[in-house]
Amino acid sequence: MQVVGERQNVWTAPTGRRTDEWSECLTQIAEHEDRAAFTRLFRHFAPLIKAFALSGSTMSATHADELVQEVMLKVWQKAAAFNPEKAAASTWVYTIARNCRTDMFRRLQKFDTPLAAEDFTPEQDGEEPFAQLQSKRSGERIREMMADLPADQTQILAKVYMEGKSHAEAAAELDLPLGTVKSRVRLAIQKLQVQFERA
Amino acid sequence: MATFHPQLELLTEHAAGSLSVAQSACVAAHLNYCAECRHSVVQLQNIGATLFESADPSPVGDVLLNRVLARLDEEAPLHHSSAADQAGNNATPALLQRLMQGDFSDLPWRKVTDALRITRLQTGDPNYEFALYHIKAGGVIPDHGHRGSEMTLILEGGFSDDRGTYHPGDFTYRRQEDEHAPQALADQDCICLAVLDAPLRFTGWKHRWMNPFLRLHAG
Repeated sequence: MQVVGERQNVWTAPTGRRTDEWSECLTQIAEHEDRAAFTRLFRHFAPLIKAFALSGSTMSATHADELVQEVMLKVWQKAAAFNPEKAAASTWVYTIARNCRTDMFRRLQKFDTPLAAEDFTPEQDGEEPFAQLQSKRSGERIREMMADLPADQTQILAKVYMEGKSHAEAAAELDLPLGTVKSRVRLAIQKLQVQFERA
Repeated sequence: MATFHPQLELLTEHAAGSLSVAQSACVAAHLNYCAECRHSVVQLQNIGATLFESADPSPVGDVLLNRVLARLDEEAPLHHSSAADQAGNNATPALLQRLMQGDFSDLPWRKVTDALRITRLQTGDPNYEFALYHIKAGGVIPDHGHRGSEMTLILEGGFSDDRGTYHPGDFTYRRQEDEHAPQALADQDCICLAVLDAPLRFTGWKHRWMNPFLRLHAG
């Protein structure tokens, strides 16, 4: 797997506003219901969403296509909620894809819950500009540093994030002790300089 | 501001979307109180986003694109309404309000001891019980260990145990081997959210008889 793709993000100091192509597309959709922009976005993101749906290979190709449609329709509907000051367009699309996939898994398992995955996503609108800037910088740092992680750590992060496996499931699949999985995840997260409170 | 937080492992699974509904709801409720952990989750999501954008693309044909384009008319873009007033305040988390459909006083509380009443909320999660505990001011939850794990989030008042004193927004996660006897603070009743993956097991001789009554009520 290629860890860090070609860089599409261009920064303009000092506001740090993202002016990359995908943010522009989202803005065009939000402001003008621009179908050409949506088509460009679709051609870029739909194959990534499908890859995300199929990783872990528990989802059929039909369901993966269904997920692609569902996510891209949400992108169209919710484009106005995207704020380029606080996140990259790809991060925003990823969180929608993750939520739709979680909901789809629950539907497929006939799991009847009054809660949707998006209810669980922290709302950042209330955050201070400084916190937004920090979030954005950490995203940028993580993108740069992912490529330098040892393969055994990247492998587990891929299980956890791309395949949506719990630490215990990742341990079972990789035939590793749970403690090893936990410590590799923790090491990776520390290397990526994610800040967290001690439990 | 919370002083007791979820473990990194729980935040990671929450950010990756792999935590069960009931546990994820409890972590999300903590995030409602805690800007630090919200910030951590945003960073943890960035790890997922980086893996996502560098995945090997899986081909998608124009048939699918055309199908989506044909549906855009039915799905008009939504106008964004700010949810700023929901973040970072200490009111009952919106997600819990949805599950409760009313105030604490409207819920069907069941008396377990003189000091403890319990009401269960339906999350649809088949593996975890999701319940609110109401502990009278100064009341003690009998000494108990856990057959599985127990996640707790303080919503009102507070309690203390051998590890410290917990206030609204504080989060604890106890495993099987841990035994504790939390006591509500003297001046106020305590309401907390508890997520259990197996029934509590009381270890004090006086309350051992209650064990059969505390079967798991998941769902």
